[in-house]
Amino acid sequence: MQQPNLLQTQILVEPTAQQDAHAWVALDDVAEWSSFSQVNQNQQDEWESRLAIEGMHCAACAFKVEKALKAIPGVASAEVNATSGRARVVWSAAITKPSEWLSAVQLAGYRALPAADAFAQDARRKNQRLMLWRWLVAGFCMMQVMMYAYPSYVANTGEMTPDMLNLLRWASWLLTLPVLIFSSGPFFSNALNDIKQRQISMELPVAIGILITFLVSTAATFDPKGWWGSEVYFDSMTMFVFFLLTGRWLELRMRDRTAGALDALMHRLPASVELLKKDGSFERVGVRRLQIGDVVRVLPGESFPADGEIILGETSVDEALLTGESHAVSKKTGAMVIAGSHNLTSAVQMRINKLGQDTRYAQIVALMERVSVEKPRLALLADRIARPFLIAVLFAAAASAAFWWQADHSRALMSAVAVLIVTCPCALSLATPAAMLTASGALARSGVLVRKMQALEALTTIDTVVFDKTGTLTQASMAVGKIETALDMSAQRALQLAGAVAKYSLHPVSRALVLANNQVETDSDVHIISVQEVAGAGLIAQSSIGELRLGSAKFCGLDNKQAQHENNDVSKVFMSSEAGWLASFTLHEAIKSDAATAVSALKNSGLQVEVLSGDKSTSVAKIAALVGIAEVRGNCTPQDKLNHLKLLQQQGRKVAMIGDGLNDGPVLASAYVSIAIGQAVPLAQAQSDFVVMGGQLFLVPQLLLQAKHTMRVVKQNLLWAAIYNAVCVPLAVAGMLPAWLAGLGMALSSLLVILNAARLSKMPMPTLKQFA
Amino acid sequence: MDILYLIIPLSVILVLAILGGLWWAIYTGQFEDVKDEGERILQDD
Repeated sequence: MQQPNLLQTQILVEPTAQQDAHAWVALDDVAEWSSFSQVNQNQQDEWESRLAIEGMHCAACAFKVEKALKAIPGVASAEVNATSGRARVVWSAAITKPSEWLSAVQLAGYRALPAADAFAQDARRKNQRLMLWRWLVAGFCMMQVMMYAYPSYVANTGEMTPDMLNLLRWASWLLTLPVLIFSSGPFFSNALNDIKQRQISMELPVAIGILITFLVSTAATFDPKGWWGSEVYFDSMTMFVFFLLTGRWLELRMRDRTAGALDALMHRLPASVELLKKDGSFERVGVRRLQIGDVVRVLPGESFPADGEIILGETSVDEALLTGESHAVSKKTGAMVIAGSHNLTSAVQMRINKLGQDTRYAQIVALMERVSVEKPRLALLADRIARPFLIAVLFAAAASAAFWWQADHSRALMSAVAVLIVTCPCALSLATPAAMLTASGALARSGVLVRKMQALEALTTIDTVVFDKTGTLTQASMAVGKIETALDMSAQRALQLAGAVAKYSLHPVSRALVLANNQVETDSDVHIISVQEVAGAGLIAQSSIGELRLGSAKFCGLDNKQAQHENNDVSKVFMSSEAGWLASFTLHEAIKSDAATAVSALKNSGLQVEVLSGDKSTSVAKIAALVGIAEVRGNCTPQDKLNHLKLLQQQGRKVAMIGDGLNDGPVLASAYVSIAIGQAVPLAQAQSDFVVMGGQLFLVPQLLLQAKHTMRVVKQNLLWAAIYNAVCVPLAVAGMLPAWLAGLGMALSSLLVILNAARLSKMPMPTLKQFA
Repeated sequence: MDILYLIIPLSVILVLAILGGLWWAIYTGQFEDVKDEGERILQDD
């Protein structure tokens, strides 16, 4: 796999400052910005950029990079995530240039690359190789140093000649040098940066620990008569460096794999595509050169570069990552395809309708990137603890050394080393983000986008679930059934008018009308000037034939005469002009096949389930009965819904609101947790905490279960980190922990956190039994 | 046991030589493309 992989952090390599500065100046060109930034819609000179930061290890590093970025005048905000190695920078083009804040990151001791830039991949691979190489050197030297140390462990006093003892020590010293200089290099360079920045991170205690061990052992090797004693600890030192690097390496691989779901989603666009030229031949061009209206040929195995329409050929398409739909979808000529989905079976030609930032794919990616730099509450808490914790560790080490100093100088120093090495704030600060990132990766793979990490925690405490009806419990698309019209109007004409008005709205009823109108394929001669949507009621259009209203009977100003015709089982929508009633449309709606299962799963898990709908009470009640919901409220205006929600919250209930995200934005926004369902959700404006992209309801109980698992893992991780430090630090202070064991302990402690989080990479499949 | 005075320095040199060899292998791209090289003989170009 040579997928570009931005969701990982590496050990710091010496940046080639000259080269980078040169590359960064090139990034000051406005034309380059769009490759890693997007401009603020409201403020033309404000840009938002994504960066991949290399060389970060824990929360303290992320904080440092953030501080460095924010110190640059013109940088409005900067968010850095240590777990994903990503950063988001908002800056003003009038005041600063990318090269300025990119070099600020470098001055802080890290390396920033514009995300989605091709050379990031090379840099990463080089880094990865260097890291592996450091690990190999440490491992190799460790084994040999152990060999040299072994005789002195088994020999009785006087069995080995002083010459032999010295020779073995010199040999150990020689082979420890590469470990010190090369393998531990990143520890020292990072610690040095810390000191320069007057900051503290976990690299500092480790670096001090390595240095003390080496100095004591070196002194003992060349002058065994000094106060430092004659003991050497080369074997301990090489061993804990090796363990630490092993831990780092495995951690990186794990993180890479678990965050891989997010990553796979973010890099689905092809780099190049075959463009149809005017002479009928195809030329392979970069996706960035495409324009709207271009025709491209997409081969099987490739992914679609943009949103568009298939104009030649038919194929089946995998849209799993974008909608959660796991079956291949068949697409014939005329069908729409979305950027980022995979062409599976045969070559097709498509005309491009939407490109780049306008595609749904780009919206999803932007959303996921924003989430991946967000810090959940528990992570913020861990970050705050990390710094005082590290200072306490330095003091504990000093205290331990002071305590043992009288008894044995060498032992005093080594117990201080053990304290420095064994403590691991990393496990603490990794605990929350590792779990949440893995969980949201798994959710993304099955078609649920997490918009706020924090919501995963909130979701575990809810006790009430409130469903919207239309588009949530029922299919988003309705079908237009019977059409009744006034005397002077044909059904077709009525549909034309309604379709022309409804085009401007995203409400399911409107879409049904548009769809029905498209099927008869006639163009309306009526010119629509403006359309105003009254939420929960209908549409008012100004047209060339006067005002048209489309909506409920009341909204259209109709008396009960027409409304009385209503059959209770179906919903109806009315159209009226200034002259009065024009037509009514009967709409059928189908309940989603998984609605009843999802509702019963929710009820089995002890949640109270309700329905709130703007639709008529009778039809809401009917549908609610079918899916098994007892609490029903129909005829609600958006304000009613809001009031009801507030009432529930005043009663101390924690409510999860599930809606289609189109008509219930304010309601979703005011709920404790909100879930938007449906393919039509405009992601950029969606107010909800979660978006179920494919509209499958069974994902809701799954999401709940996943949230519970996530919080359980977070709690386990935090508990483990706390217990580990609480047990190991006193042991080390008491001098009962050899340095090599301390190194092993530290490597294992953060590894365990990552491994525990990795359990979340599979979505739980809820069965009714699990919920009961 | 005098032989140890030769063998121990030799072992140090050996370790350094092996590390040098590995360095060479990694940085001349010996592990760059492990899969395709093996399949290359099967491809007709």
